[in-house]
Amino acid sequence: MSESIDLGLGLLDHQLLDKDGRRCGNVDDLAIEGGPGEPAEVVAILVGPDVWRERAGWIGRIAAWVARGGRVRIPWGEVAEVSAHVQLKKTAAEYGLGRGDDRLRPYIEKIPGSHR
Amino acid sequence: MNKIFGVALGILAAIGGFVDIGDLVFNVAAGATFGYQLLWVVVIGVVGIITYSEMCGRVSAVSQKAVFDAVRERVGFKAGLITLIAAEIVNAMTLTAEIGGVAICLQLLSGLPYRLLIVLAAIVLAIVVWIVNFDWIERIFGYGGLCLLVFAVAAVKLHPDWGAVGHGFVPHVDTGNKLLYGYFAIGLLGAAMTPYEVYFYSSGAVEEGWTVKDLGLNRLNAIVGYGLGGFLSFALMIVGGALFLGKGIDPATLGSIAMGAEVPLGQIGLLLALIGILFAVAGASIDTLFSGAYDLAQFCGFEWGRHKSPAGAPRFTLTWIVLLILAMLAVMTGVDAVKLTEFAVIFSVVALPLTYLPILLVANDKAYMGNYANGRLANVLGILYLVIIMIVALTAIPLMLLTNLGQG
Repeated sequence: MSESIDLGLGLLDHQLLDKDGRRCGNVDDLAIEGGPGEPAEVVAILVGPDVWRERAGWIGRIAAWVARGGRVRIPWGEVAEVSAHVQLKKTAAEYGLGRGDDRLRPYIEKIPGSHR
Repeated sequence: MNKIFGVALGILAAIGGFVDIGDLVFNVAAGATFGYQLLWVVVIGVVGIITYSEMCGRVSAVSQKAVFDAVRERVGFKAGLITLIAAEIVNAMTLTAEIGGVAICLQLLSGLPYRLLIVLAAIVLAIVVWIVNFDWIERIFGYGGLCLLVFAVAAVKLHPDWGAVGHGFVPHVDTGNKLLYGYFAIGLLGAAMTPYEVYFYSSGAVEEGWTVKDLGLNRLNAIVGYGLGGFLSFALMIVGGALFLGKGIDPATLGSIAMGAEVPLGQIGLLLALIGILFAVAGASIDTLFSGAYDLAQFCGFEWGRHKSPAGAPRFTLTWIVLLILAMLAVMTGVDAVKLTEFAVIFSVVALPLTYLPILLVANDKAYMGNYANGRLANVLGILYLVIIMIVALTAIPLMLLTNLGQG
């Protein structure tokens, strides 16, 4: 991991990958701690449409409502690597990420040829 | 040798895949209205799409990011969301127009009822996308689209005034109706630079795992594929000009566009033209279908890929199925596919800066791109085109209204 990254450009809104390289959401927001005068520290990554509410005014609230997803908090210690994408240490399922795909998959699999 | 053969085949498929319903409609209509005068605008459009496709392919190869990854990371969530909404609306309009085009071609070929053919077209497209490996989709529709080369033969057979054709490549305005001329110029630029092409192209580059080793291939693909595709656009406009100009005929249907090959070449010309249009427009339907799903998946971060099985990327699969059904229902309302094409192209022009600005920013960003950031040529062209795009975006809707969709 490089020594320093620009949080706005180098981390926020980047693609999340689980340990197997599965795409499982984006870095929708960051939880940053530290009072006035203290060094600020990223403590967690926030993922899920629920986070969108706070990011884009009424359009964000509508998007969050349409996507109907919750919010997942991933402690910063779970991040394995930050490069082009943000790689996590465990599988998506262990964090509760990628649930939309996991719930939908059984229905898709009912149609022949879904695993060509 | 095998590699060269592969590249050649890819380029052939790209030529067949370049032309979509927007190019067909605007090039022939521009020819019918202004003869060969607007050929120079096609050149500008083709250089523009080459410039930005090369940039997108390079960003994908270097950073493994497709366009909508880059858009959101670079301009942030809110501007990214607005871009996404604009892109999805334009994409859905384009998809609807393309599927309408498929149904019209099928009707001209078979004589069966239009509404039945819309449903049939949607079902066949869904089955093809579901079961056929994408490499084969690309080949089938790309090579089928090559039948459009019949328009190049037709253009020669119609014995156009080659001096006038040559003069058309020199930028000039030689008409009393400057508004209408401007409207067609904007439409031609929009048709050549349709944003779904770069979404699709960059996502493919990420999926195929391009690295900096593929940058040469990227440049070759962009220049030769789009360049030769532009050649087809010239042919369409020349046919439109030679056949329809001054005859008071407005080629407002795909059937009249196909007539452009029938008049000089007879039945076989008509048949090749219709098959070419069918494959080109059906291929573009699949491209737009995937583009809509790519954009949403990349913005939201869920799994995507045209090379994945349907179950390998469930929400991506659901997205394209829903888009296909919506487009099918929209065509069923009886909306005129050619009119809708004009709307789709003009609205896509308005959305162009939102797509191309983030790409230009990312391609210049040393943090992403390292030594592969834009060089001077890419930047001069990139900025020049961004300025052109912005002017065009601001004037597109007023011109559309003032000219009553090009009716004068």
